[in-house]
Amino acid sequence: MAYQLYRNTTLGNSLQESLDELIQTQQITPQLALQVLLQFDKAINTALANRVRNRVNFRGSLNTYRFCDNVWTFVLNDVEFREVTDLVKVDKVKIVACDGKNTGSNAAD
Amino acid sequence: MDKKNVAQKWLTQAQASPQAWHFCWALLRPDKVPEIQFFGASTLHAKISSHWSDLPPGQLDSLRSQLITQIGQFASGPKLVLTRLCVALASLVLHVLAETWPTAVPDLLCAFQTGESVTEADGQARCLALLELLAVLPEELQSSRIPASRRSQLRSALAVDWSSVCSLLQQLLQRPDAPCPVRERVLRCVSSWLTLDIALKDSEGLLESCLALLKESELFDTAVETIVSIISQPDCQRFADSLLKVVPQVLGLQEQLKKAVQDGDMETSHGICRIAVALGETHCRTLLEQVDHWQGFQALVSMIMSCTGTPGHYPVDETSSSLTLTFWYTLQDDITSLDAERQTLYLQIYRPVYFQLVDVLLQKACFPRDEDYAAWSADDKEQFKTYRVDISDTLMYVYELLGPELLRSLYDKLGTLLTDTTHPSSWQDIEALLFGFQSIAETVDVSYSDVIPGLIGLIPLITANNVQLAETIMFTIGSLAEWLADHSLMLASVLPVVLHGLSNADLSVACVSALKRICRECRHDLHLHANDIMAVSQAVLVKDIHKSPQCMWIMQALGFLLSALPSDEILGKLLSLVTPHIQQLEKLANEPPSSANKLPIVHILGLLSDLFSTFDLNKQSERSEVMRPVQTQPHHNNPVVVVLQQAFPLIQTILSKWLNEPEVVEAVCAVFEKSLKTLLHDFAPLVTQLCELIGQMFSAYPQASALDLTRQLVHIFGCEKDLFSPIIALLELITNITMSIFQLGSRDHPDVVESFMQLHTQALRRKSDLYLSDRLDIKAVFYCGILSFKFPEAPTLKATCLLFTELISHCEEIPAVREVLQEDGKLLLQTLLEAIGGQSPRSLAEHFAEVLFSASCNCPSMLSVWLREALLPPGFPSSHLTTEYKEHFCQQILREQVSKRRMKDIVKEFALLSRGLQGTEYAANY
Repeated sequence: MAYQLYRNTTLGNSLQESLDELIQTQQITPQLALQVLLQFDKAINTALANRVRNRVNFRGSLNTYRFCDNVWTFVLNDVEFREVTDLVKVDKVKIVACDGKNTGSNAAD
Repeated sequence: MDKKNVAQKWLTQAQASPQAWHFCWALLRPDKVPEIQFFGASTLHAKISSHWSDLPPGQLDSLRSQLITQIGQFASGPKLVLTRLCVALASLVLHVLAETWPTAVPDLLCAFQTGESVTEADGQARCLALLELLAVLPEELQSSRIPASRRSQLRSALAVDWSSVCSLLQQLLQRPDAPCPVRERVLRCVSSWLTLDIALKDSEGLLESCLALLKESELFDTAVETIVSIISQPDCQRFADSLLKVVPQVLGLQEQLKKAVQDGDMETSHGICRIAVALGETHCRTLLEQVDHWQGFQALVSMIMSCTGTPGHYPVDETSSSLTLTFWYTLQDDITSLDAERQTLYLQIYRPVYFQLVDVLLQKACFPRDEDYAAWSADDKEQFKTYRVDISDTLMYVYELLGPELLRSLYDKLGTLLTDTTHPSSWQDIEALLFGFQSIAETVDVSYSDVIPGLIGLIPLITANNVQLAETIMFTIGSLAEWLADHSLMLASVLPVVLHGLSNADLSVACVSALKRICRECRHDLHLHANDIMAVSQAVLVKDIHKSPQCMWIMQALGFLLSALPSDEILGKLLSLVTPHIQQLEKLANEPPSSANKLPIVHILGLLSDLFSTFDLNKQSERSEVMRPVQTQPHHNNPVVVVLQQAFPLIQTILSKWLNEPEVVEAVCAVFEKSLKTLLHDFAPLVTQLCELIGQMFSAYPQASALDLTRQLVHIFGCEKDLFSPIIALLELITNITMSIFQLGSRDHPDVVESFMQLHTQALRRKSDLYLSDRLDIKAVFYCGILSFKFPEAPTLKATCLLFTELISHCEEIPAVREVLQEDGKLLLQTLLEAIGGQSPRSLAEHFAEVLFSASCNCPSMLSVWLREALLPPGFPSSHLTTEYKEHFCQQILREQVSKRRMKDIVKEFALLSRGLQGTEYAANY
C-alpha cells in the first residue's frame, strides 16, 4: 500500500470531492471510489518519487520532533526556505515526512 | 451503450441472486464458450467471497469437491477460467481454514499430487493448476475485504504450511526435466507466499535454487524478482546466520555481472545489480554488526561500487548505477550510528571507499562528448539531468562523512586539470569537478574549508567555451554567495565573471540567479561594485536579452543592492534605474489600448513591483531574523515613496484606459502591494491618494485585487488614527459596491466574494470598533456571508468560514452583531449544516468546525436554540441522519468548548453520516 498522505492535497481533495459526488448520485459505489483513491495513492507516490527532483534548502530552529509509526514530524520556528532564486521566511513550519524507500511496496498493511 | 448497461445490470443482479449457487455450474460446462465459462467461474467467486453466509448448511463438502473437480477439468485451459476457479477455491479456503479445515493446504497438495480427486488432467497440467492455486491463495488474502485481526490470524495459519509448500517448490525447481512454464510459475508462487512474512531461514534452499536459475536467460527476469523479494524481507535481519550464507552466493554472481558489462548486456547487469543492492540496502546494519565477517561485507560493498561505476553514460549505455545511490546513504547512516569502537574501525575501512565513491560519481556525472550528447533524445537528456541531481544529493550527504577534506581533494584535482599544460583537459572533466563543489556548497556551510579562496582564484582560468560548463560556473558562484558575504574581498574576483555572462541569453537562468543570490547575501558589501552592476543590468534590460521572469529577478537583485547603499546615493540611483522604464510606460500609456501594448505595460509594472518587493530600508543587516511587520520610525522621503508619488499621475492615466483589463489592474495593485509590504509605515504619505485611486478603480470595475490591497492598508494602518479616515471611507465605499454585486448576482465573481470576506475578517480583527457606527453595515455583510456559503469554490468558502468565526467572536461587544445573530442565527446554522451535510466539499469540514467552535465558545445558549430548531425538520440536511443521531450531535457540539480538534472530528462524522459514507473503507481516516 502506498502512503495516503497526499490525499490531503489540492489534487487529492478535488478527486475526493468528485468521488463523493459520484457516490451521492449513486453512479459509483464506495468500494469503487476506494479503488480509485488507492490508485491515486500509488500514482502520486510513484510520480513524486520518480519525476520530481526540485530541491529546496531550509534552516530554522527545531522546536519539536517525533517519530511515530514510521512517520517523522518536525515543528520548526523561524524558518528560511532557499530555492536557487527565492528566499521565503516563515514563523512556524510543520514537516511530515515518511520513508520514500517504502513507497509502492507492501510495507504498510 | 444503453443495452450494454442494461445487460451489465442484469448480470450483476443474477450474480447476487440465490440461484447463482446453482446456475454457475451449468455455465462451466465444456460445451460453453470461454466467456460464458469465465462468467460462471466469476459468479462462483462472487458467491463465495461476498455471499458466503447464504451457502446452505451441509453444502460445504460438495462445493469443495465440485470446485476441485472443475479445476481439474480446466487445468489445461482456458487459463482465465482456471485462474478464476482457483481464486474461488482460495476464497473458500480462507473462509474455513481457521475453524473447519485447518489442513486445507496439505489436503490440496495431496489431492493434486496424487490425482485422486483430479482425475481429468495429466501430471503436468495438474502441477500447473496446483501452482496457480498456491499462487493465488496469498493474493486472495491480500485483496479480499477481511478485518485486520482476522487477516493476520489467517496469515499465520497459512505460514504454518510454508514448509510443505516450500519443499514441493524446491523439488520442482531442482528437477532437471521440469519444463520452463512450471519453473516460472514456481517462482511466481514463491513471490506470492513471501507476502506472508516467511522467515529467510525457512527459504534458504529455495533461494539457492533461484540463484541457480539466473544462468537461464528465459527465467532470468522472474528469478531476479523472486530473489529480490526473498532478500528484501525486512524480517531477515533476525536470521543473521542465514544472511551470512547469502553474501557469498551473491558475490558469486560477480563473474556473470562482469561478463554482462563487457558484452553490453544491460538487462543482466541491471538484474544482478538489483540483487546486490537489495542485500546491501536491506541488511546493511545487520551485516555491519557481524564484525568478524567484515571482509565478506566489504566484498559486497566493492561489488556495489562496481555497479555504481558501470562504464558508459546513464541512461543510454547503462541503467544500473542509479540503483545503487540509496545504498551509499544507508551504509553511511549505519556506520555513523554504530558505537564508538566499531565506528572507528569501520571509518578506517570505509573513508577511502567513500573517497573512491566521489571519484566514481563525478566520473558518472560527466557530460558525454558533444556529438554524442547532441544525438541523445530529449527524454534521455531529462533522465540524465535527474540522475545528476541524485548524484549531487549523494555528494552533499557524503560531505557529512568526509568533511572539508573532500573539498580539498576536489580543489587539488581541479587545480591539476587547469594548470597541467602537458595533458589538455576536456571541459566535461572540469565541469564535473565544479558540479561536485556546487553540490556541496549549495547546502553545506563551507566556511570550515580553506580551499574556497583558491577555487575562486581558479575560476577565471577556466575557458568557458561551452554552455553547460559556463552554467555550472555560474551556479557554483551562486552557491558561494553566503560564503562571499563573509569574505567580501573576493567579490571583486567573481563579479566580473557574472556580469560578463549576463549579456549571454544562453546563460540567462544560471547567471541571473547568481547575480540575485550575490545581491541578496552580500548587499552590504557591494557599494564599490554598485555602478558596474547597475550599468550592466540596465543595459541587458534595455536590450531585452532575458525573458520576463529573469528580468524580474534582475530587478529583485537591484532592489537588494540599492536598499543597502548609503542613503544619500539611493534616490539618484533609483531614479536613474526606473526613469527609462517609466518613460517607456508613459509612451505606452499614451497609445490607444491594444493587445500589442498590454503585455509591455504589464511587464514594466511587474519590473517595478519586483524592484520594490526587495527594496527594504526597514530591514537592517539581520540575516536570520524572520520578517514581520515591525513598527519602526518612518523614514522621511523614502525613495520608493518619491518614485511612486512621481509615477502616480501616470498610473492614474494607465488605469483610466485599462480599467476593464484585470491583468493591468492586478499589475498596478501589485506595485502598491509589494511596496506596502516593504515600506510598511513609510507608505503613509501615499495612503490618501491610494485610497482615492482604489475607490475610483473599484467603482468603475470591481476586482479582487483592489479588495486585497485595501486589506493590506487596513492591516498596516488599522491602528493609526490620522490615516484611518480615508481608509474607512474606502472601506464603506467598496462595501456598498460589493453589496450591490450581491444584489445583482455574485455567482460569477467568487474571487471578489472571497476577497470581500477576507477584507472584513481583517477589519474585524484589526479595528472592530468600526462596526459600531451605522456607516458600516455588518448585518449586510452577515447576509452576504450566508450567500457565500452556497458557493462551490473552496477558497471562497474558507474565507467565509473565517469571517463568521471572527464575526461571532464579537457578538458581545458589537450590538449589531448580537442583533443579527439573534434575528438570523438559525439561518446561519441552517446554511452551515447544509454545507457540512453535502453541499460543500468534505475537505472543508474543519473550517466549518471553526465557525461552530466560535459559536459554542461565544454564544452557547443561542447556539443551542439554533441547532435544535435547524435540525428539527426530518431529513434535514440529509435523509441518512436519524433523530437520535441529531440529538447526539447537538449535545456533542454544545459540550465542546475546549478542543477544536474534537469539534473537527464531530463535524467530520456528521459530514460522513450525511453522505452515507460513515463506516466505509473509502472514507476511513488515514
